[in-house]
Amino acid sequence: MSDFANSLSVSASGLRAQSQRLVHVSENIANADTPGYRRKTVAFETEFKGAGAQGTVAPGPVQLDRRELAKVYDPGHPLADETGQYDGSNVDLIIEIADAREAQRSYEANLKMFEQARQMSSRLMELLRK
Amino acid sequence: MFEKLDIFRMSHAMATHAGARQALVAQNMANADTPGYGAQDIAPFQEVFEARRSAAVPRATREGHLMGQDMPSGLEPSEREGMQRDPNGNSVALETEMLNAVEVKRQHDRAIAIYRSSLNQLRTALGRG
Repeated sequence: MSDFANSLSVSASGLRAQSQRLVHVSENIANADTPGYRRKTVAFETEFKGAGAQGTVAPGPVQLDRRELAKVYDPGHPLADETGQYDGSNVDLIIEIADAREAQRSYEANLKMFEQARQMSSRLMELLRK
Repeated sequence: MFEKLDIFRMSHAMATHAGARQALVAQNMANADTPGYGAQDIAPFQEVFEARRSAAVPRATREGHLMGQDMPSGLEPSEREGMQRDPNGNSVALETEMLNAVEVKRQHDRAIAIYRSSLNQLRTALGRG
């Protein structure tokens, strides 16, 4: 039974981590046109809690993408320097969309495992009937 | 046939094995995007069962027995070999894990079906069918 409990909590941690990732992706997309905005990325880490070899996943610290900011030419912009350019953001929409898709797929996979563990344990409980 | 009830013990071991493997598959899937994580797995039930049966060690069948209590359960996870690693060091393949998940589910269902049908037989033998 504790295996199923483990399985459920690990899957739940996966769901949490993937939705956290999706939060950062949507932040990036929302700020794609914000001057000076740097893309946020997050790497996952495995957490081993206690003596049991239970490996839940947790999002690591948020990091900023260190790629150069895109230069936008717009002499009329209030932030433009003497060459008429200002710093845009370094968000690449295609990368963000691909990342969002990947997060969605992983979320679905975790959800499926959650459902399966639940089914297996309820099947076990059915043995007690009758 | 019903002296030792080995079939119950075996189906119990099979369901336990399926449960342990389910936990590992869930762990692999949750860590499918974790850098440096290696996919974990345990030996198939057949191997575990054979190893336990062929190992001629005394088994503790009563509480007073001292021997055989720390026998390895065969459920220790180890890193799956021969998997290709991503550039970030992760070796989880979601497709393989899906396949394992289905396998685990079928094994668990099978173990429970065996348990239930043996239980029904036992009930019938006791005249309470």
